[in-house]
Amino acid sequence: MTNITVKICTGTTCYVMGASQLLSLPQLLPEGLASRVLVEGANCLDFCKNGQHGKAPFVQVNNTVIPEATIEKVKEAIRQAAETD
Amino acid sequence: MKPNEYFIEVGSHQHSKFGQPVAGDVFVSERSGDEGRTITILADGLGSGVKACVLATLTATMARRFVAADIDVRRAAEIIMATLPVCRQRKIAYSTFTIIDTRADGSVQVIEHDNPPFMLLAKNPKTAVQKEQFAIQSQSTGQRNLYYSRFQLEPEDRIVVCSDGVTQSGMGRKEMPLGWTDSAAGQFVSDLVSRDPGISARDLSRAVVLRANLNDHRKPSDDTSCAVVYLRRPRAALIATGPPINPAKDVALANTVRKFDGKTVICGGTTANIISRELKREITIDLSTRDMNVPPPSSMKGVDLVTEGTLTLSAGAELLEKNVDPEAAEPNAATMLLKHWLDSDIIRFLVGTKINDAHQDPNLPVELDIRRNLIKRIVRLLEQKHLKKASIEYI
Ligand code: FES
Repeated sequence: MTNITVKICTGTTCYVMGASQLLSLPQLLPEGLASRVLVEGANCLDFCKNGQHGKAPFVQVNNTVIPEATIEKVKEAIRQAAETD
Repeated sequence: MKPNEYFIEVGSHQHSKFGQPVAGDVFVSERSGDEGRTITILADGLGSGVKACVLATLTATMARRFVAADIDVRRAAEIIMATLPVCRQRKIAYSTFTIIDTRADGSVQVIEHDNPPFMLLAKNPKTAVQKEQFAIQSQSTGQRNLYYSRFQLEPEDRIVVCSDGVTQSGMGRKEMPLGWTDSAAGQFVSDLVSRDPGISARDLSRAVVLRANLNDHRKPSDDTSCAVVYLRRPRAALIATGPPINPAKDVALANTVRKFDGKTVICGGTTANIISRELKREITIDLSTRDMNVPPPSSMKGVDLVTEGTLTLSAGAELLEKNVDPEAAEPNAATMLLKHWLDSDIIRFLVGTKINDAHQDPNLPVELDIRRNLIKRIVRLLEQKHLKKASIEYI
């Protein structure tokens, strides 16, 4: 079982669009998953630059980019990453 | 002493009487023109609360104007006494004051009226202060005595002035029936300075007020204020914000940060990424402070603070405007930035002028694209409100 890396963008655009709420993610992960997940902050990941990735705030779960990220969407992506592993 | 080799740092701290939302002590300080002349006034209005505050504010404002206009300080004191409104209950118009007029070359003139005498902490034990007494007539309170003194500050010297709320703190307690007293407060200050010879005016004034409040078991029975004027070797800070318009300048930007003699702060994710790439130093974002409006700070080896750009800088400007004490505020990237600003004397902004494509999104607040205006506002606040020397350089 490998670790899952979650990068929460804390750049200006993402923060204005609600990234601050996402920072409570580590406290909201179910216990079974929490130990496998590494949550990091990131400077602007450049996804906000040209619209091709969708809208901010962005979170990256391993290699998957999640636009308009919410806690729910991120948890779901983590679950999927855990299953496909 | 060579001009510009030393800097007049002014710091003050204040606590109002327990239960009073407004302090009747007023502290005002202003630096006029380029010559670095600095006027510092501590006024204490009769009583406490709003009425005292109005009296003290009037006094301090008048004193500042007169001194800045080069009106003889004695004449200024006379006008102030004649102009103050009379308190209806007590039938007197009254506010104590201490006016400290410091020139860039270290020469000082002080006028004192009924505040506890100022303390001079001079390196050279021969620096003596000769006080000249003079009397003026006040309509409501009769003859009043003022003291005038003139002397020369040497590098590393300090002037400390307190309101009587400080020297009389603790009054009535068994251990200090007369309160803390001028001499015990003076001893406290000189002990503190001998333990920490580089202590800033800001930290010293805070320590004095906190100590006074402890004497009163944290419920000060009067307004307590302390102001310090400190002639020190200037502390410099570099704030790098925004990517250079020409990527060829990225190296130069990184090297300026690397070689800077003083504190370094990077405000802006892209700017931080550039410097991290050029200097091959990693950035780690610290998620332990959480704030709705200000993105978390990060760290990079050799750099004192790394923050996001626009949101943090505008929050910082707000804090400067409101005169927030970073030590008393919730820690976040903006209060950390504020602390670096206030701890420094000379602050240089290195502003990259490349437009951030992300901010062109019309859905985002217009605020985001005004980096330059924001920095100008910060520089103005640092200089006028906080008596710093600040400069902007565009790259
Ligand atoms: S600010 Fe988050 S991707 Fe740019």
